[in-house]
Amino acid sequence: MFLYLPYDTVLHRIHPATKIVGLFLMLVMTVALTEAWQQLIVLTGVLTLTATGRAFRNIRRILPLVITVMLFSCITWSLFKRVGDPFWTAGPLTLSRESIEFGVAMAFRLNTMLLSGMIFVTCTRVEEFSYGLRALGLPFPVSFALSLAFRLVPLFFSRIGIIVQAQQSRGLDLKSGNLVQRIPKYIPLLVPIFVYAIRDTDLLAMALESKGFGFRTARTEYLRFVFGWSDGLIIGMLITINTVIWMA
Amino acid sequence: MTFTYRGASRPALQNVSYRHHPGEFIAIMGPTGAGKSTFCRCLNGLIPAFTKGTLIGEMTVMGEPVDPRSVYRTAQRIGLVFQDFEAQLFSTNVELEVAFTLENFAVSPTEMRPRVDQALKRVGLTGFGARDPSTLSGGEKQRLAIASVLAGGPSVLVMDEPTTDLDPIGKRDIFALCAALRNEIKGIVLVEHETEHVILADRLVIVSDGRIVRSGPPSDTLVDPEFLEGLGVRPLQTTVLLRKLGLPSESLGVEDTAEAVRRAGWRAAPPPAPQATPVSTFEPIIEINGLTHRYAGGGTAVSDVSLTLHRGEFVAVVGQNGCGKTTLVKHFNALHLPSKGSVKVLGKDTRDWALPELGRHVGYVFQNPDHQIFADTVGEEVAFSPKNYGFSTDEIDGRVRHALEIVGLAGRENDDPFALTKGERQQLALASVLATTPVILVLDEPTTGLDYHGQTAILNLVRKLNRTGVTVIMVTHTMWVVAEYAERCIVMQGGHVVLDGDVYACFRDPGLLASLALQAPEVVRIGRLLGVEARSVEELVSRLEK
Repeated sequence: MFLYLPYDTVLHRIHPATKIVGLFLMLVMTVALTEAWQQLIVLTGVLTLTATGRAFRNIRRILPLVITVMLFSCITWSLFKRVGDPFWTAGPLTLSRESIEFGVAMAFRLNTMLLSGMIFVTCTRVEEFSYGLRALGLPFPVSFALSLAFRLVPLFFSRIGIIVQAQQSRGLDLKSGNLVQRIPKYIPLLVPIFVYAIRDTDLLAMALESKGFGFRTARTEYLRFVFGWSDGLIIGMLITINTVIWMA
Repeated sequence: MTFTYRGASRPALQNVSYRHHPGEFIAIMGPTGAGKSTFCRCLNGLIPAFTKGTLIGEMTVMGEPVDPRSVYRTAQRIGLVFQDFEAQLFSTNVELEVAFTLENFAVSPTEMRPRVDQALKRVGLTGFGARDPSTLSGGEKQRLAIASVLAGGPSVLVMDEPTTDLDPIGKRDIFALCAALRNEIKGIVLVEHETEHVILADRLVIVSDGRIVRSGPPSDTLVDPEFLEGLGVRPLQTTVLLRKLGLPSESLGVEDTAEAVRRAGWRAAPPPAPQATPVSTFEPIIEINGLTHRYAGGGTAVSDVSLTLHRGEFVAVVGQNGCGKTTLVKHFNALHLPSKGSVKVLGKDTRDWALPELGRHVGYVFQNPDHQIFADTVGEEVAFSPKNYGFSTDEIDGRVRHALEIVGLAGRENDDPFALTKGERQQLALASVLATTPVILVLDEPTTGLDYHGQTAILNLVRKLNRTGVTVIMVTHTMWVVAEYAERCIVMQGGHVVLDGDVYACFRDPGLLASLALQAPEVVRIGRLLGVEARSVEELVSRLEK
């Protein structure tokens, strides 16, 4: 992933398939929990993982988003969720102890999801993600295409940045005018972007074949991960916790 | 072999017969559109597998026919390095990039690591294994692209203009690598625009209009500057000099040529009376004061640069790949704003200029014209900029006509821009910028991807504009362009300006140039050996006497 940080931590060393399944189970678990204190426990666990995977540098990048989600969730859910006995009402807006708890729980849940995803991309290379998907049974071309998409996103945006600059240098003003007036201004951007996307896709396909992609014999792997007892323990724990929560 | 692209009026390759002998290092040269890249892509079956068209004839590699249905199989025998080498890099670190080919070829995991190490060592990238390819310099990326292909153990390595975007030392390293590899693999095919290094090849193949028009030892062809120039290939300055002095053009090297000139009785004429440098009389047009630029989340690209550029100057900005040249010049039309320090254009801080408004005074021609072309016709493309500035319809028509006239595309208003050649698209990009009559023109690598005719056409055009008073700032890697066209040279390294002065002064210290990954063009070096400071063959000839 383009946010990958090359550290050698326990989280970096875990089998990629464990990371993918673990992330999925984490998200499922946080969906099942409804109480704010339960979400807080999970969020604390996620923050511990952030420290373990040395992901704070990336978390800092999305800190404004984390804070916005926190505030927005707390405020909107607290005001609009009609639950419990309201102690304050103003038109459609109400506030109750339960609605505030719900708002806080939702804020914790959304941030748990956000941070879990960020820890995953911080500790997993594109190639490891692809490796993990293959270990879970996905065919190589599918897993490779998925992982390549992650890799190409920043490159594509950098290309768009150059095209925007090229047209702005010729006087294209994307900021002035209302929405209707602004839409046609994007045509000078879209044409070169599409031309490039088509050309790059074609070139990429040729480059891949020229490096033997599609060779018919069984492919070998440079990266080597062994699914060890610790991987089994992590998944076992997460499945058990999920089972308990969902059965409760 | 003949190949015609679908919809093309004539074949890209016409009745080509080619035999590559084991151990040969072949260089292919020719003008843009001659069919060089088409030829390379036919070698491993990419054409016709990925490109629609008609292929007549056949090709065998080591006795086996090339099957376009299985390019991946041919890739084991023919390794192809693309002109756009970044398109070939898709892994997150150097080691994995090289291993990707081996994984595809199902090399056993135990064998992979030594082969990765060996390939990286071969191209001088030992110790770079953990680096993200996007953090490498242009030359390093190119060598990585070569390593990733070499690791697969191809019999023949084909490289399509691998040095286009490299600084002079990066170019030299690639040719030295080719020369060394010739004893290790069965063959090398290298497409190249620059003449100076192809002398290292065993055979030089000249392609024009889809045909092989000459094939033989490089020296046989390189001694014929008129033939090369006629085809749109830049001849060696050594041979041009010898011809102009009426000497047989058989010396190809700088030292041999200087010796031949000396033997013929030519020596340095007394230097002309020094001319007062006019620069100080010019009015400052761009003032840079303590400029530092840091990319968000990235490193410092430009660090504490202070410069004054004057109205009417022709300035070349040179330096190694990734040294901050483009970042610096993007400050001149406010595409970048300083992280620290200030940039004043026409007396006003770029922070106070509205970006679209400044674009009217500072024309910026991007390296790749395709980053801006979008219109259906050439006329509409050129009209885009004046329309944005709200000129009247009559005025726009006049400006479009005038700009197209300047760049030599008059009468082509209704042509489809995407059907133009690369050189013409570059001219169109220039015309679209000139339509607002800017007083400053910034050109980022304007000669990349053009053949000699295309290069000289655009450069002569820029020189003409400069003589009408337009200030020209040009980012380039091509040192003969700096020598022949620029008046002032700014050399950058690691985000700093390390050398700034008139072009003669910049070429005076070869040791310093080498430490900056640069090298003076041949004529400058010959001049130095003869005790003459000259930037072009014409100037050197005028400074010699018998």
